[in-house]
Amino acid sequence: MEKFESGMAELLEVDTVDASDVLEGFEAWDSLTSLSIIAFIDENYGVSVSANDLVAAKTVGGLKDLVLTKAKKA
Amino acid sequence: MSAPLHPFSLGGNAYLVTGAASGIGRATSILLSAMGARLVLCDINVGGLEETKSQCSRSVTLLPLDLTRSSLIKDAMLEAVAGAGKLNGFVHAAGRPYISPLKSISEEKCTEVYALNTYAALELAKAFTNRNIYAGERGSIVLVSSVYALVGSAANVGYAMSKAALTGITKSLSIELAPKKIRVNCVAPGFIRTAMMDKAGALFNDEHSQLLEKMHPLGLGEAQDVAGAIAFLLSDASRWITGTILPVDGGFTAQ
Ligand SMILES: NC(=O)c1ccc[n+]([C@@H]2O[C@H](COP(=O)([O-])OP(=O)(O)OC[C@H]3O[C@@H](n4cnc5c(N)ncnc54)[C@H](O)[C@@H]3O)[C@@H](O)[C@H]2O)c1
Repeated sequence: MEKFESGMAELLEVDTVDASDVLEGFEAWDSLTSLSIIAFIDENYGVSVSANDLVAAKTVGGLKDLVLTKAKKA
Repeated sequence: MSAPLHPFSLGGNAYLVTGAASGIGRATSILLSAMGARLVLCDINVGGLEETKSQCSRSVTLLPLDLTRSSLIKDAMLEAVAGAGKLNGFVHAAGRPYISPLKSISEEKCTEVYALNTYAALELAKAFTNRNIYAGERGSIVLVSSVYALVGSAANVGYAMSKAALTGITKSLSIELAPKKIRVNCVAPGFIRTAMMDKAGALFNDEHSQLLEKMHPLGLGEAQDVAGAIAFLLSDASRWITGTILPVDGGFTAQ
């Protein structure tokens, strides 16, 4: 799952991310970045998340938990 | 075969429709059938094809096929035509969206989208012009592109590439196939309420749906709205029209 952090850092245009980082707080956060994150999660974890899921997950860690939960169910 | 009495009638003609299991392809099949055409319905989704067939009023042949396997297209068409009779044209409505910002674009996905949205159209045209498939008169091909071949939108570059290529194909083939009396045209739909849009819609928030509605002066379209334009381009009513890209978009590209 380190791949998750490095992928998120790349998409959010920063060097590293912390679990507590708030998604909407990133300077690169916008609707296009959110679409890229959706595509990244779909391609790497086979999990579909919606734009509303991202908003609800709030932080990088929250999103990771959501992906893990959804990946387990699938 | 003599020309039909009514220029909008398709009586006596036969067409292949791809993507016929859903959305625009299904609505087109139902309309063409009601207008008197015999049909070959092609799609990868067999259950959907059966459902479309049940809504058609006359002779329909089913052709279940994965159109990305281009080497299978010609033989499959020859076989379908053996049962259904030679074709006057085809509609390529099978297609898939690819929403991805540049940041997450993948060569593999682009290639898959291209194989279905774009290259399949060429392979279908190549097979169609075969003398054992083409009826030899009143030939008409209609390709289904998108407004996003004509205007830009973010996070859509892979799809735009596949759909814009269809406009080039339309123009090139319209010249090359004119001596065979085959017209080649293209429709560029705006947003239509179909399964494809529902899937794509889940990626966006509610604000985005309202924005979409506003971008269409006549409101969002229905699959039948595109089917009507396709039927016109297949019929003799459009017999002097070839190489055209016709936006069917409720005014989306007028602004
Ligand atoms: N819905 C819109 O808003 C809209 C707008 C502009 C353009 N278009 C275009 O119109 C066309 C039809 O779209 P729709 O909205 O009816 O979509 P749809 O998803 O309802 O139908 C597409 C059909 O293509 C079939 N298909 C998918 N992969 C296939 C394959 N490998 N081989 C054979 N068949 C396959 C599917 O089974 C489905 O029946 C597409 O080319 C799309 O790009 C749609």
